[in-house]
Amino acid sequence: MSGLESEVAAVALPREELLASLYEMAKPQPRYRELLADHGLVQTEAVAFSFDRENTQFVLRNHDLFSSRVEMHLGNVRPLIPLNVDPPGHSKYRKLLDPMFAPRRMEAQEGDLTKRANKLIDAFIDRGECNFTEDFAELFPSMVFLGLLGLPEDELPMFLRMRNGILHPEKIDPNAYGDFDVIAQVRKAMGQEIYEYFGDLVDRRRLEPGDDIITRFLDADVDGDKLSKEDILDIMFLFVIAGLDTVSDSLTCFFAYLATHPNHRRQIAQDPAIIPSAVEELLRWETPVPSGVPRVATRDVTLPKGQKIAAGCPVSVSYGAADVEQEAFGDPFEVRFDREDNPHIAFGAGVHRCLGSHLARRELRITLREWHRRIPDYGLKPGHEELEYPPGLRHVKDLMLSW
Amino acid sequence: MKLVVNTEVCSGHGRCYSLVPEIFEPDDNGYCDPNIADVPPELEARAMIGVNNCPEDAISVAKDGD
Repeated sequence: MSGLESEVAAVALPREELLASLYEMAKPQPRYRELLADHGLVQTEAVAFSFDRENTQFVLRNHDLFSSRVEMHLGNVRPLIPLNVDPPGHSKYRKLLDPMFAPRRMEAQEGDLTKRANKLIDAFIDRGECNFTEDFAELFPSMVFLGLLGLPEDELPMFLRMRNGILHPEKIDPNAYGDFDVIAQVRKAMGQEIYEYFGDLVDRRRLEPGDDIITRFLDADVDGDKLSKEDILDIMFLFVIAGLDTVSDSLTCFFAYLATHPNHRRQIAQDPAIIPSAVEELLRWETPVPSGVPRVATRDVTLPKGQKIAAGCPVSVSYGAADVEQEAFGDPFEVRFDREDNPHIAFGAGVHRCLGSHLARRELRITLREWHRRIPDYGLKPGHEELEYPPGLRHVKDLMLSW
Repeated sequence: MKLVVNTEVCSGHGRCYSLVPEIFEPDDNGYCDPNIADVPPELEARAMIGVNNCPEDAISVAKDGD
């Protein structure tokens, strides 16, 4: 396909203190309520933050007014596909990728995912306790990914390394904690490793095709266009970031909630039929990806609630606040697994709706089902009741569970 | 009751056909197939679950004359 222009909007990183004041990582919902009540828009010199659901939906739906062509500072040297691409180019990539991640295709993964989840549980069930974050949540999505790529399990450490290098750089270099310069260095080096690793894999699959997504990318054809090697690398880079970490984060948020809310935990253990609805409700309540990729206004825009956004201004939209909006949910501060109307946007909205959402849902459902079938009664390990939600996407560090 | 799907707005969340498979169906890309048969009165409440769970407000009930 035609190459992407390398020019993207530069977005200044918002100051950490500002982010911390807007996003309470551990218990964000009460803060969302305050921000929603206060006009739902926080404008700073560098970025506008939208918390109002209607404004947020407007930004996400009007991709001609709000471009996704932003610099991500994630170690990538080219825009990520399809995340940083606007229509019409975006539609072409999605047309190719959507069928590969459609619910029907993901249904075929059910057996493989179930087996992998149980294998992880086997490793610690007799111990009566585990570090859920490290022993399950961080491993499961990467193992699923290895399956999609047709790679053996001994590649797992490399996948965890790639994920950590970009999203948890402090795990690669302890000096990276809170230091943007060190973070940038770690990400840049890891970015190169990612391009090289998948570059080799693409070359191998070209010589020896298999039943895996890289082979499907190489074979794919949209309106007569083929994906270039660079296209495939830019897709794989995004998959490492979006596919490996977000489900891990969601799992830790979900299990922290269930371990501290025995009534909700018992509902799942006693009636597994409610799991699909419970997954949607926990996605809404936890919204582990609290905000979307910033969009940049392509011209002066007036938002539905009347605020003005100047051309060139990045707008960060809060999925989390949109998911506790009074009008949309009626009783948004109640966590109800029997909620009938749940139009949450935990996977974003508009044309960039999370490509992997159907796979993510399946991973979350299978984990809840298999875990509660085998370990229905569990809680926080005594002495580990204090939960730490580090900066970044919402996740619990070292969630210690015992049963 | 007749339902209308705005295919420009549907983004493939899949909430409708996951929750109410007897009325909504996915296309090959996982987006809501807009060819929906008229909903009989006994299924209208079920249809509204699909309407009300759409994060994009892409599904609506056709008004008389649509």
